[in-house]
Amino acid sequence: MTDPRLRGKRMWVVAMALVLALFVAACGEEKDESSGDNGSSASSGKDCGKVVLNEQAWAGSTANTYIAKAVLEDELGCQVEVTKIAEIPVFQAMADGKVDAVLEDWQHTDEYAKYIDKAGTVVQGGPLGVEGHIGWFIPKYLMDEHPEFKTWEGLKGQEDLFKTADSGDQGMFLGGDPSYVQKDKELIKALGLNFKHVTAGAEPAQVARWTQLYKQEEPVIFYWYTPQYLNQEYDLAEVKLPPRKEGTDCQDDAKAGGDPQQYKCEYDVTIINKLFSKKFADSGSPAYDVLKKMKLTNEDQELVAKAIAGDKEDPEEAGADWVKDNQDKVQEWLQ
Amino acid sequence: MLVGYFVLKGDYPWPAALTWEELPSEIDKAQDWLLEQRTAENPNIFFAILDGFRAFADWLVTALLNFFEWLTWAGIIVAGTAIVWRFGGWRAGLIVLGAFVSFALMGLWEESIQTLALMTSAVLLSLAIGVPIGIYAGRNDRFLRGITPVLDAMQIVPAFAYLMPIVILFSVGPAAAVICTLIYAIPPAVRITALGVRNVTAESVEASQAFGATKTQTLFKVQLPLARRQMLLAVNQTIMFALSLVVIAGLIGGRGLGDVVTNGLYSNAALALLAGIAIVIMAIALDRATQAIADRTDPARRQLTDEGRIRARNITLATLGGIVVAVVVARVLGADAYYPDEFETSTSVYQANIQDTILGWIQSVLDYVQDPDSFVFKITEPVGNFILQNFLEPLRAVLVESPWFVTLGGLTLIAFVLSGMRPAITALLMLAVIGVMGVWDPGMDTASQVLVATAIAVVIGIAIGVWAAESPRVEKALRPLLDTLQTLPQLVYIIPFIYLMPVSRVPGVIASVLYAIPVIIRLVTVGLRSVPPAAVEAAQAFGASRMQVLAKVKIPLARESIMLGVNQGIIMVLAVVVIGGLVGSGALGDMVARGLQRNEFGEGVVASIAILALGIALDRVTQGQRATRTERSSGGPLFGLGRKRRQVQPGGGAV
Repeated sequence: MTDPRLRGKRMWVVAMALVLALFVAACGEEKDESSGDNGSSASSGKDCGKVVLNEQAWAGSTANTYIAKAVLEDELGCQVEVTKIAEIPVFQAMADGKVDAVLEDWQHTDEYAKYIDKAGTVVQGGPLGVEGHIGWFIPKYLMDEHPEFKTWEGLKGQEDLFKTADSGDQGMFLGGDPSYVQKDKELIKALGLNFKHVTAGAEPAQVARWTQLYKQEEPVIFYWYTPQYLNQEYDLAEVKLPPRKEGTDCQDDAKAGGDPQQYKCEYDVTIINKLFSKKFADSGSPAYDVLKKMKLTNEDQELVAKAIAGDKEDPEEAGADWVKDNQDKVQEWLQ
Repeated sequence: MLVGYFVLKGDYPWPAALTWEELPSEIDKAQDWLLEQRTAENPNIFFAILDGFRAFADWLVTALLNFFEWLTWAGIIVAGTAIVWRFGGWRAGLIVLGAFVSFALMGLWEESIQTLALMTSAVLLSLAIGVPIGIYAGRNDRFLRGITPVLDAMQIVPAFAYLMPIVILFSVGPAAAVICTLIYAIPPAVRITALGVRNVTAESVEASQAFGATKTQTLFKVQLPLARRQMLLAVNQTIMFALSLVVIAGLIGGRGLGDVVTNGLYSNAALALLAGIAIVIMAIALDRATQAIADRTDPARRQLTDEGRIRARNITLATLGGIVVAVVVARVLGADAYYPDEFETSTSVYQANIQDTILGWIQSVLDYVQDPDSFVFKITEPVGNFILQNFLEPLRAVLVESPWFVTLGGLTLIAFVLSGMRPAITALLMLAVIGVMGVWDPGMDTASQVLVATAIAVVIGIAIGVWAAESPRVEKALRPLLDTLQTLPQLVYIIPFIYLMPVSRVPGVIASVLYAIPVIIRLVTVGLRSVPPAAVEAAQAFGASRMQVLAKVKIPLARESIMLGVNQGIIMVLAVVVIGGLVGSGALGDMVARGLQRNEFGEGVVASIAILALGIALDRVTQGQRATRTERSSGGPLFGLGRKRRQVQPGGGAV
């Protein structure tokens, strides 16, 4: 008679072997499936294969990523995978060939220097056509009451209006997401305005703050930008900042530090770039040519973003709908 | 200190001469160097090893996910439920079944399975690394003292600070996500294992040695079996800590529920909350399942006869067989890898989940929260303003605007009075580090918020802890709530607080309070429960009322545990400073968040070190006389192990 404990152990060996067998079977299965996929995409004429697009957290990025996905899948028969990696780490992901393309990059110039110019592992894909615009915004109802707020000079002496529990004796200026390009603290100083710059935190937190004041019809002035789907939901107006003068060197990103005076101008238009992994660009994939030609306007992007974030439509459907309605544009990319 | 504040307010900021200004740019250079090395043509041996680990971690997660997919959605429900039912009993089996059903009904099946594969791999690796280290630390005091600060750092330094170096070294994807999770989940595994091994009484060890057991035999036959329960607690806490990193893992390619939370925050708050709930359900199900399995398989509890053993084995085989049959049937019937969105019959298509309905409910709650005319808002807004104007702002002003030497001296003095000479020196050094790194002002700003948050958490935590200790029913009802607070991603529940208390810094304080409360409540409850019944009975015999027993006997006797709760509260509060940065608390948390997102890497690292230094300083200030008095206390489950010494009873070892 063997010791029952020993038999117990033997049983475990059997059980483990069984699990292992299932595991191996699972892995084998996987390979079969992937070879099947290759076959189906080859049947569409061109060999597109798998394309990995990275979607950023905000709705605008979801919009252009899913437009691209619809085009690549329906027109080229590609198999598109969407990843959601944060803005800076995604550069390394492209360098390693784990992500093929980012369609909406807001001028991460430090990373351009490192990954595009120096290492050469990421390549420029040209502008998406969407133009970013940053500025100071107030609710439209406030602008109607105070037409002088059309320019920053009109704010002078009226900062009190924007007082909150946060700002003490000064008016509150609600700063943007700390991860975004900004120079509002320096601007306030350079313009001599009596505002206290209050950071509300990441964008969802900042939105929570100003939408609440908006709903209460309280005065609020804040860092904001276009294109942004919320602009379709809330009626906002822009306060004009001192214009940029030709030839002068005016900075937009306070990260550089230094004298506040060098920031004393409105924000420049931000050209939003497409970026590609070098490996993807060299792969000869037809998807690369299409994505390189892809162009959208601010309106295109806001429309789809509104459908996704505002109306809670499925991104896949919203992207496919836009492609269906804008065949003229899509056909240009495909040529 | 107050005198210094009023007399010399704002006159003496931290002097530039005592600041190492180049530090952030030096750290940036180090990161650039790392990047160059990584992209170099011929990677050296160091990178080759890292690549090997990456390949292994990637393989593990992918293989697990493929396996889950191969089981099909129906197969995985049957397999998970049956295994837990077999080894953990029907109650735990039902919880697991409920979890799977809720993932399906919430329409988050695919994301949940991805997260499950990632977290299972991360927990297994954490234990594989953490438990051996913990065993060694349990047997070697010097080693334990040596690694304790490292463990502290791993838990306090925010993940945002090291996300980018991890991505440079391990690229994005499952491997990077796993490694990030390891950093946070290994410390509890090490600590609790070490505590378990150390708590094995000296008598048992000496007895085994007296019988001539070798060191290895003592370890495997005496110390580990006797530390079994603690080691299972280590598994539990490792799961909890790992699950609290799902969202961060998503930022570097971990996929799954974390992605849904992040994107949802920007465009669909209700969906983010739903994904958060799925994370909590997964954490609770894994926790209850492992705990039930641990209880049921405890050899001390089941004395099986040979016959019983054979029967148990047959049941196990039957369960396994049942699972295989279920998987085969599911595959033959063509079940998908993932639970489908829709069921099709020959005549019509049915929605397979009730996601839209649930989102509708959540949205209506959010709409109420966002309504500035609501009843709740009329209460919460003044409360928020009150906290800001009466606590946060005055304390910040005193700490930041007092001359630096007054603040520094004052805090050191407090540490000296409360805790003694050595803690005071440590506190002084740590505060000086904050100043030298050039982040004195944000450091003191964060300190003021941390102190206010800890104070609120302690008041509420002790009150609830006492209540829970007095009433088992309350304790039972609280448990899922506390688990939820520990694992629900903070950003998800903190956004509603921005609507309810729209003043900067207050939502961050609330987040910290909610995250710190569970630990405090648990420690207070444990402390009060372990007051010897004899002391309570004696007091009752003298005619003391229930309140008197509580105030005069129980609380004084549980003082150490309560103090440990305060101490742990501070550490937990510091662990979420970076979340505060994301919801408007500014200061150090803001710098860390920006460090990742704008690649101000050096600044982020400096701010993280400052948070750590602040943690150590505040820990020493509040440590009290505990260090010298707690030689015998059982200590908390999570931290503070390093300050205890092994207790060796004189004259023990009678066999």
